[in-house]
Amino acid sequence: MNPVVASITYRAMLGRKRVWLLALLPVALLAIAVLLRLVGGGDESTAVTVLETFAIGAMLPLLGLIAGTGVIAPEIEDGTIIHLLSKPISRPVITTTKFAVAATLLVLFSAIPTFLAGYILIGTEAGVSASFALGALFGSIAYAGVFLLIGVVTRHAVTVGVIYALVWEGLIGRYVPGARKFSIQQWAQSIADQYSASPFVKSDVPLSFAVPAMIIVTVGAVLWAGQRLRSLSLTGDE
Amino acid sequence: MIQPIGVIHDIGYRHYDGPRLGRGYATTALALNSLRGVFGLGRAARAKIMPFLIAGTMLLPAVVSIAVMALLKERPLAYPGYAVTMQAVLAIFVAAQSPYLVAPDLRFRVLPLYLSRPITSLDYVAAKLVAMIAALYLLLALPLTLMYLGELLIDLDGPPHTGDYFAALGGGLVCAVTLAVIGVAIASFTPRRGLGVAAVIAFYMFTLAASAVFFGVLLSEGHETAAEWSILINPFFLVDAVQVNLFGTEAANGQGYPPGAGPAVITAGVIALALGALVLRYRKAAAA
Repeated sequence: MNPVVASITYRAMLGRKRVWLLALLPVALLAIAVLLRLVGGGDESTAVTVLETFAIGAMLPLLGLIAGTGVIAPEIEDGTIIHLLSKPISRPVITTTKFAVAATLLVLFSAIPTFLAGYILIGTEAGVSASFALGALFGSIAYAGVFLLIGVVTRHAVTVGVIYALVWEGLIGRYVPGARKFSIQQWAQSIADQYSASPFVKSDVPLSFAVPAMIIVTVGAVLWAGQRLRSLSLTGDE
Repeated sequence: MIQPIGVIHDIGYRHYDGPRLGRGYATTALALNSLRGVFGLGRAARAKIMPFLIAGTMLLPAVVSIAVMALLKERPLAYPGYAVTMQAVLAIFVAAQSPYLVAPDLRFRVLPLYLSRPITSLDYVAAKLVAMIAALYLLLALPLTLMYLGELLIDLDGPPHTGDYFAALGGGLVCAVTLAVIGVAIASFTPRRGLGVAAVIAFYMFTLAASAVFFGVLLSEGHETAAEWSILINPFFLVDAVQVNLFGTEAANGQGYPPGAGPAVITAGVIALALGALVLRYRKAAAA
């Protein structure tokens, strides 16, 4: 962990247009929660639908994508990463720091709003809000690691990430049960299922698979990103 | 005595007296070049991977459908619902390719170079939009046409679904225009390609999730009319609603849409809003 790298990354993430993209989705989630509460949809199944479809299903991968690739991909695209790489800081330290920045931002913008949205809808009933917040917390950390790795590996990081989140987790995961085993979204769902007493929360992946998988993927992605950054080529494309 | 220190040589610059092709030609050229660029033609090989992968994915269900028609003698896939079925793929195409159209020109500040030619900033916007609309329409119309030709050749029982086919082509045009305008408008607000891709896909996933949440919750509580309106948040269902009300095709959401001109008015409003944003954006960008 390098505090200077961390502060620069925080400034880059929060000081530009990117922060609007990060903030808009949680605000939309809270707005939907308030709206549904106002029209009287504040029951358990509604809360689970909202948290499952919107918070875990759409907001989590999107914010993971924006934060995870956003901490490193623009610097590589601009070529300004060379200033960072030419300093006597070990490359794995750079990626670990950037991962930590992305993870903290995601906790702030994804896990906390998830809890608040659940709380607005049904309070603390059946532990739905807390369990989904916990799922979002671990899910966002895993997404941060994976998308950071994609950001280092390819110039088309965002597109590749979108395809993973939308096609693999969304489209293929819906029709092919086996694909759900390898979906961060489903792992987050398993954690939410484990800690809530609500009968509406369902998950397809057992927790004994989800948690180790999540840890291995996150740690592996961050370590691999560090290794990749040691031999980054800065040739531009197009 | 002062020695001469500089000499002007006549190196033979000539004035151009030939025909000038003018504004329309320049705009057409820009649109054609952009259309080629959307599919990666004339760009590096790695730029071709994504668009052709997506085009292949769009054709896949059509090919499978023809195979099913030939072997089992039944139609697995209706024409009008094709865009809704393939919405994720179309959304990824719009998100991945619309920043390519506008972001590099903004980022490298070459807009003044375009505008020093006969084209105006409006022509520039129009050319980019036409390119995206044409690309999306190609992605939609190609598999539909392939399926229709397959149906004609296989000669199933009963008359061919010519009406459905042309309705889907008409709806596809509305779909292409709506998606292209929204995608290019969002992408034009950032000179960074990555952020542009993220912004467009964020818009799509937000509308997808919001419409699913409201549709599910309102339907389960018995507010059917409100549920039918709420699903229109997703642009693909909005366009499908226009198609259903215009051509009388079957609704792709399995529930139905609000009848009348409502969906069409919303679609026109969305297109007008995005167009307005684009024009304003380029008025500012051209001045910078």
